[in-house]
Amino acid sequence: MSNGNLLDTCQRALDLVRRHGADRAEVFGETTRTITSAVEKDDLQISKSRQETRVGLRAFVGTQVGFASTNDLSKVEDAAVDAVTLAKASPGDPHNVLPDPNPVVPIDGLYDPGADTFGTADAVNQAIRMLETAKLVDRRVIVGESEFTAGIRNCVLINSAGAEASERSTLFTYSVLTTARDKDQVSNMAFKFGATRSVDSIDVERIARRSSEDSLGSLGARKGQSFNGQVLLDPYAVLNLLALLPFQLNGRNALRGMTRWKDALGETVAVPAFTLVDDGRIPGGVGTASFDREGVPHRRTALIEGGILRSFMHNAYTADAFGVPNTGHAAGSAGSLPAIGPTNFAIVPGEVGKSDLISGIRRGLLVNRFSGNADPISGDFSGVAKAAYLIIDGKIDRPVAGSLIAGNVFEALKSLSGISRETETVFNYTFPFLRLEGISVTAE
Amino acid sequence: MQKLLEKVIAGATGWLELRYQARSTKRITVRNGSLEESSSALVAGLGVRALVDGVLGFASTTDVSERGIRAAIDAAQAAARTSAQAKKQRIKGLASAPMAKGRFAVNTDDPLDAHSLEEKLALVLGLDERIRSGAKEIVSSTASYGEIQDEKVIVTTDGASAHIFDSKPELRTIAVASRNGDQTMGLESSGITGGWSDLLEIATLEELADKAVQVAVDQLSAPHPSGGTSVVVLDPSLVGILCHEAIGHTVEADIVLGGAITADKIGRVVGSELVTLCDSGATEHAPFAVGILPVDDEGVLTRRTVIIEHGVLRSFLHNRETAAHYGVAPTGNARAYVYSDDPIIRMRNTYIEPGETSVDELIGGVRNGYYLRELGMSGQADSNAEFMFGVREAHRIVDGKIGEFVRGATISGNAFDVLKSIDAVGDDFAWENGAGACGKGQFAKVDAGGPHVRCTLTIGGRQA
Repeated sequence: MSNGNLLDTCQRALDLVRRHGADRAEVFGETTRTITSAVEKDDLQISKSRQETRVGLRAFVGTQVGFASTNDLSKVEDAAVDAVTLAKASPGDPHNVLPDPNPVVPIDGLYDPGADTFGTADAVNQAIRMLETAKLVDRRVIVGESEFTAGIRNCVLINSAGAEASERSTLFTYSVLTTARDKDQVSNMAFKFGATRSVDSIDVERIARRSSEDSLGSLGARKGQSFNGQVLLDPYAVLNLLALLPFQLNGRNALRGMTRWKDALGETVAVPAFTLVDDGRIPGGVGTASFDREGVPHRRTALIEGGILRSFMHNAYTADAFGVPNTGHAAGSAGSLPAIGPTNFAIVPGEVGKSDLISGIRRGLLVNRFSGNADPISGDFSGVAKAAYLIIDGKIDRPVAGSLIAGNVFEALKSLSGISRETETVFNYTFPFLRLEGISVTAE
Repeated sequence: MQKLLEKVIAGATGWLELRYQARSTKRITVRNGSLEESSSALVAGLGVRALVDGVLGFASTTDVSERGIRAAIDAAQAAARTSAQAKKQRIKGLASAPMAKGRFAVNTDDPLDAHSLEEKLALVLGLDERIRSGAKEIVSSTASYGEIQDEKVIVTTDGASAHIFDSKPELRTIAVASRNGDQTMGLESSGITGGWSDLLEIATLEELADKAVQVAVDQLSAPHPSGGTSVVVLDPSLVGILCHEAIGHTVEADIVLGGAITADKIGRVVGSELVTLCDSGATEHAPFAVGILPVDDEGVLTRRTVIIEHGVLRSFLHNRETAAHYGVAPTGNARAYVYSDDPIIRMRNTYIEPGETSVDELIGGVRNGYYLRELGMSGQADSNAEFMFGVREAHRIVDGKIGEFVRGATISGNAFDVLKSIDAVGDDFAWENGAGACGKGQFAKVDAGGPHVRCTLTIGGRQA
């Protein structure tokens, strides 16, 4: 569906919500078209195409709010009735507000017209290229899963306060999961991810090669050593371990007392070298868009600066509740109420190289992937260090299997001793290597 | 819709599977007395699989007019044809199976639609209030209600024509406790396949709220476990998680073909002879399992599949394609979450059959170990059956008696080693009846359970 037709559909929906009793309303419409080609166990799997238009209707009755969505455009009026009925049955809340209208400045480079003619055969070719590259590194590598997806998205946001924004974007994402098998030995799974906005910059070979190399590296892993000390986390492991940061920095969680940092604005939460920013306008970023789920322009927000907590991520509701400026972090699809989420979320890189971080370790562990859990409330984490290597006297000694690492994320942020200049972007997260201190390592 | 799909498919060439699904969902969430969400959604469309030159293609559409259906069939056949140029392994055929015909509906006399939105909202507000007033340490409460109602029509060129109705309501609670800057969380949920009164029968609001509060508060200032290998008693919920996450995924035939540890183990001993492990589309031993599935999404009638019989691996979990590959009958494990998902191999209700030892005897036989209950924040497992699960509630067992609460416990190891270490299986049975969903590229509502069991595994603790 073109943006013009989608806008008409959204305007009709907005009228219906108001006609059925809402005094204010918002409609978000999305048309998505995706083509996916996947590899499993070294062979091409089913190729899929998908096309859907969905509209999400938010009805305000005084301070009450209801939400309904549908992908059946013959049932938009039913959804409008549902949204108003839900609003009228719900308790009111004075912070249920629409954001003030704000001019949206478009971002270049989000849409590549080349995607219009990108078909199933092109997606199949990319998937096959990923498979062949991974196998070319070493025949012992098995591509357990890999997937290539080409997507085109049109979205429109309008509300009764006069907001009207629309955007068209393309996104190509690719991921690969490999293991290596040598006689009875099976390596840990390795996982790599890549994404781009334009057809010409698709590069599946890089992630396929790196995933293969990671799998091969963990072949022959033996039991490690038990100690309390330094652990160097690969950006992928940082992603696994610090998955609780978006939760901690979510304004709604802070408002509801769900986060440890609810009263910590202006306080030290990490070492001075640690700066965390969220920027929804980075050219080509997976999380880049000119406006958020409520039509508010995206911008750059320093969340933690020099170790000090500077801001939570806000949408209209939490900004109103805290009495602070809206940071444009309303997130979600047309199928759900505007929530809060990161756009392009990044730890600012340091000045030392990964190899310098390793050479400073007398006894420690390099962890490429962390398979475990970190409690978002207490920060306690514990899990298995996957594709891990023992570091002895500043050098990588050998791969180890089955080492458990445990500690506390909040303590680790305040005591970490190294941030690398190398970074890796996985989904919408860009992280460096981090060297943590005082981590409990248990060899099984 | 059934008539239309039958008409379109009657004139088509080649093998086709048409699956129409209309899903209606509702969710109400209250946090700290304020409404977080009240929403509804209607998502409907058609998913088409086509088989061309031994290769499958898939397309989905929201246009379910006769013209839209024909266009989706063309797209699925084109996707298959394109892939056929590059695919190495061709499908040998789809194994024949008892295909479903007729009407299949969840058995309840108290449908969800008979209860008003106001009634559902009042219930969630009451649940949230009960958590918040449960203990002085509680600083945050969350309660939510969700429901999924599905109508599906599955028609294939080889005999399926089924009209299916499903109903899955659930409740979730979160309690956050705080004392001296320390924060802990308790989660408790219930979910079923069934109607409104069935949901409230499986766990009362009071039970859900009070348990979430207790787990949160008990963790405050509780010591961490000491790490190492230990004898433990697992509750039915953790037994279910172990069956599902660490064993079940390794016997899904697509994962097996991808190089799982089970690949050459059919007929071999993989666990204690006390262990019989199954996956079923029915709700065995106890009612209302979340994963009840009379007909799978290939239109195959489901059955109870014995995966491990007295410690010997007997069967993988199959769809029609892998069943043909292995020369066995399909087990009815092909599932798709929404219309735009293609059916893949998923579990339904996975469990260990009850044994003969009383729960008191199980615990009484432990001199120094742990009693472990329910999955914590997350669980992960590899296709080599290595797993790591957080545990929600852990107590030491000393001289056969349950004692001190410990916090932050994790368990890990190889699931088949754990199955071999089982030295006693309880005579009780319960489903997890949780509110979660299993993720494998797409979601599936599943259940898992069993009796209590006693085994040996590694507890994650801390090095001094």
